[in-house]
Amino acid sequence: MKKQVMPFLTALALLTACDPDKEKETPAPETNGVFVLSEGQFGAGDGAVSIFDKDTKALTVDAFGSANGGAKLGDVVQSMGVQGTRGYIVVNASNKIEVVDLPGFKTAGTISGIEQPRYFTSTSATRGYVTGWKGPFTNYLPGTLSILNLTTNTVSSTVTVGRNPEQLLALGGKIYVPNSLDNTVTVVDEASGAVSSTITVSDGPRSMVADKDGNIWVLCSGFVTFLNVPPFTATRVSNGALIRFNPGSPATQTKLAFPSTGSPSQLRINPAKDQLFYSFGGAEYRLPTTATALPTAPFIRRSFTGFAIDPRDNTVYGGISPSFSSNGRFIRYQPSGVAIDSFTVKVGPNGFVFY
Amino acid sequence: MRFVFFNPAAWRSGLLLALLASAGAAAAQAPPDSARLSQRLLRLPEVRVRAIGPERFAVGSRRLELDSAVLAQYRGGNLADVLQARTPIALKNYGPGQLATIALRGTSAQHTAVLWNGLNIMLPTLGQNDFALLPVGATTRVSIQPGPAAALYGSGAVGGAVLLNSDPDWRPGFHGSVQADAGSFGLRGGSLEARTATPTVAVRIASSYREAQNNYSYVLREARGPVRYTLRNAALRHQWSISPDVAWRVGTAGEVTAAAWLTDTDREIQSGVNVTGSQAEERDQSRRLVLGYRHVAARRQWAVRGAWFEDILNYRDGGAPSNSRVRTTQAQAEHTAALGARGSLRLGAEAQHFSALVSGYGTTEVAESRAAAFALLRYDPRPGLRLSANLRQAALPAGLAPLTPTAGLEWDLLQIGNDTLSRSLTQSLAAKASAARSYRAPTLNERYWLPGGNPDLRSESGVGYEAGLRHRLAWPGGLTAETELTAFRQDVDDWVQWLPSTSTGIWSPRNLRQVRSQGVEASTALRLRQGRYAGGVQLAYHFTDTRKTQGTAADSDPVGVQLAFVPQHQASFSTDHRWREWLVSSTVAFTSFRYVNASGTDYLPGTGLLGATLGRTLRGPADMGLLVLVQATNLLNQRYDTYPGRPAPPRALSASLRLSWQ
Repeated sequence: MKKQVMPFLTALALLTACDPDKEKETPAPETNGVFVLSEGQFGAGDGAVSIFDKDTKALTVDAFGSANGGAKLGDVVQSMGVQGTRGYIVVNASNKIEVVDLPGFKTAGTISGIEQPRYFTSTSATRGYVTGWKGPFTNYLPGTLSILNLTTNTVSSTVTVGRNPEQLLALGGKIYVPNSLDNTVTVVDEASGAVSSTITVSDGPRSMVADKDGNIWVLCSGFVTFLNVPPFTATRVSNGALIRFNPGSPATQTKLAFPSTGSPSQLRINPAKDQLFYSFGGAEYRLPTTATALPTAPFIRRSFTGFAIDPRDNTVYGGISPSFSSNGRFIRYQPSGVAIDSFTVKVGPNGFVFY
Repeated sequence: MRFVFFNPAAWRSGLLLALLASAGAAAAQAPPDSARLSQRLLRLPEVRVRAIGPERFAVGSRRLELDSAVLAQYRGGNLADVLQARTPIALKNYGPGQLATIALRGTSAQHTAVLWNGLNIMLPTLGQNDFALLPVGATTRVSIQPGPAAALYGSGAVGGAVLLNSDPDWRPGFHGSVQADAGSFGLRGGSLEARTATPTVAVRIASSYREAQNNYSYVLREARGPVRYTLRNAALRHQWSISPDVAWRVGTAGEVTAAAWLTDTDREIQSGVNVTGSQAEERDQSRRLVLGYRHVAARRQWAVRGAWFEDILNYRDGGAPSNSRVRTTQAQAEHTAALGARGSLRLGAEAQHFSALVSGYGTTEVAESRAAAFALLRYDPRPGLRLSANLRQAALPAGLAPLTPTAGLEWDLLQIGNDTLSRSLTQSLAAKASAARSYRAPTLNERYWLPGGNPDLRSESGVGYEAGLRHRLAWPGGLTAETELTAFRQDVDDWVQWLPSTSTGIWSPRNLRQVRSQGVEASTALRLRQGRYAGGVQLAYHFTDTRKTQGTAADSDPVGVQLAFVPQHQASFSTDHRWREWLVSSTVAFTSFRYVNASGTDYLPGTGLLGATLGRTLRGPADMGLLVLVQATNLLNQRYDTYPGRPAPPRALSASLRLSWQ
């Protein structure tokens, strides 16, 4: 039984990251909070968000529980988005989004009934979006983009996208949804709330960012399957790719191909939006948005289950999950990649929100 | 036996045995009355010489027995239910009827060997047993031997062994009973047991059925406040168990035995109450057949056994099903000879062949064979001193398992009164000690799981020591008191842990760490039998301190923290009273807090659970009797989680009617 959960956990560990959009939504420069997301042990319902005060280095391990009479956040805290003074914590296996008032984490409602919610973004104080998977492991169906009414904390409509939609991006009146079990990005028009087009990229698009020139970058992980007969070797069906296109002409793409030695994931961008970060083969890499080839030397030789850059001071945060049966920790790095310090948080740190 | 000649390790053990045997012969000069027990048996012509069980070679080890009177109260339940109510043994339990695994002396679920009629029935894929899949009624005797005992019980007996036996009952006549059960949360069940014996044939059949909705209510602490829910997807749809066995005496010394145990369990799998919309379910079926022949003469015994098992575990949650079918063929042969008047030596060998068709291993069948040879020596050099020395060497596909010797001693320090006369106070005090090495062979999942299976995994190995005192007091008039105190310490090396690879994220098992477990086990039992009253009080306490002592660089779990799901303190208290036609019993099981992961920060709080049973037998004509039994669990209605995200049932009641005749 336990072993059957392993591939699932592995998949979660690979897929985890925080919403790339939220940095642009949280400009308040005087704040000093860092929210560290811990997904928790599957089935135990012990996911948590910790508040780290970067000035005093004080850590509130379970901010939601502390603020709400010991209430549990739920099972597998997947991601968190911020809109104004509200936080939206996406709890994957509990099929809900917990809405909290920031910075105190006092509950402000629950958006429930979303199947396998993954990543949240918002375009105004009243409108939010969340991607959701559909179907069971090994038999996934086309997923959803749920359009949320943030005034009533309800789902106002649902759009069918591709399989396993992941870290969406709102840009220029459009919502870009990468379908990680397909090779497409579904584009949903904000005004009509309907699919306006589908962009074909490479296999396994998972995370997206927009750079300072208004280009969209999509990181595709590629596909791997395992041989069903001895000696059970893993077979790569397709390699990963980093793809760039202009939203005005999505068919014209620049593609940087990865070698077959690993699956790239967790595309991030720095606050100035001219440096990209991603993880590949157990290390974190960095490249300028002007690059024409992938870097060969890693930025930090370490495997992170969560990675983010603080827009206030460019400090780098990496989440470490040694196993899902013990607490994790996060490490802070100077913008140059030199480690500063580390702090213990709950099981499976997978993302950071700066507020 | 054939494999003995091919296995160099077996030669080695054979040599050692010869040495042990000659040492025993040299010491065999004590007065011959030390063997009076067996002689007494031999003097009675109608009593046949008893077959020697493996426990005879477990000198110095602690042993817990659940007698038939206790087992009868839990006849419709599973082994996890009985152990939790009656012993201070830690089980990791996901809820009623859900996965329940044992942690003897702080070790993991794979560190307790479970044997049925002397054959290992641990699921070869997972290397462990789900105690919720072992209905109590199928066996007549359950004993638990904590502590390493690989020389006796083979792979997995690191933390201990659980021995399930269905011994033939040669008492003449026909005995039978049928029982119907009903209880809270949709519990329904029934069981049947019948046995008969002639001087040459003994037959027994036991079967049981159970289902339960487990749709009890629980409270979840949410942001808006406490919210009451009803548990879903936790039903035990059905659980069947059928276990016929037959023994046939051939000539004066031979006995053919055949036994089967068929179980079929269909249940929903609770994924945790915070997981929404889970539809997981699991079907477990086990078919176990054993055929044996035993030759029991006064100075020589030998036995051969062959067994065939098929274990099916089919899991589905709406996606592609995860199916598993393992067929196990086992053969055992042993020869026991008397060494003078005071000793006995058993030599034996066993072989196992597994053939597994598991979706996690790919589409082809995976086969694996294991073999082992063992030598067991029991020697009582003088009255009041018992010694045993045992040895086992197993050969595994990846090489030899660690050689596992055992040595044990029991010494009567004090003996007052004559044990054959009960008219005066008798008292005895014995010291006991044992030391043993143990091993656990890598499971099929650990070797063949795709991806991540590690064919290079070494066997885990353990070494343990225990010492203690046993005190018995018997007053005239039927009152007895038995107290036992045991201290133990054991290390497990090459402890296997599944960890994700830092580069690929693929989980794989590796030999990572060393774990030390130490503790104290104390128990005392008072029994009184007077007139039409028979009853007793049992009190037991376990202190278990289990920590990782060191690990490799890849093993990130902290050193020195009490292992998850191993409570430091556990105690059980039970009383049973039978007077005339009445039966009253109560149990209290106390468990201290348990950490829920390796970090030692989050924990499940301690619990104290009270259970009670009230019964009355109505005598009918023709030796018939009707027993009315009412049972309550969690009488204090405690609200607690048995596992994170798995709320336990509130107070529950059940009633049983048992019609028996003899």
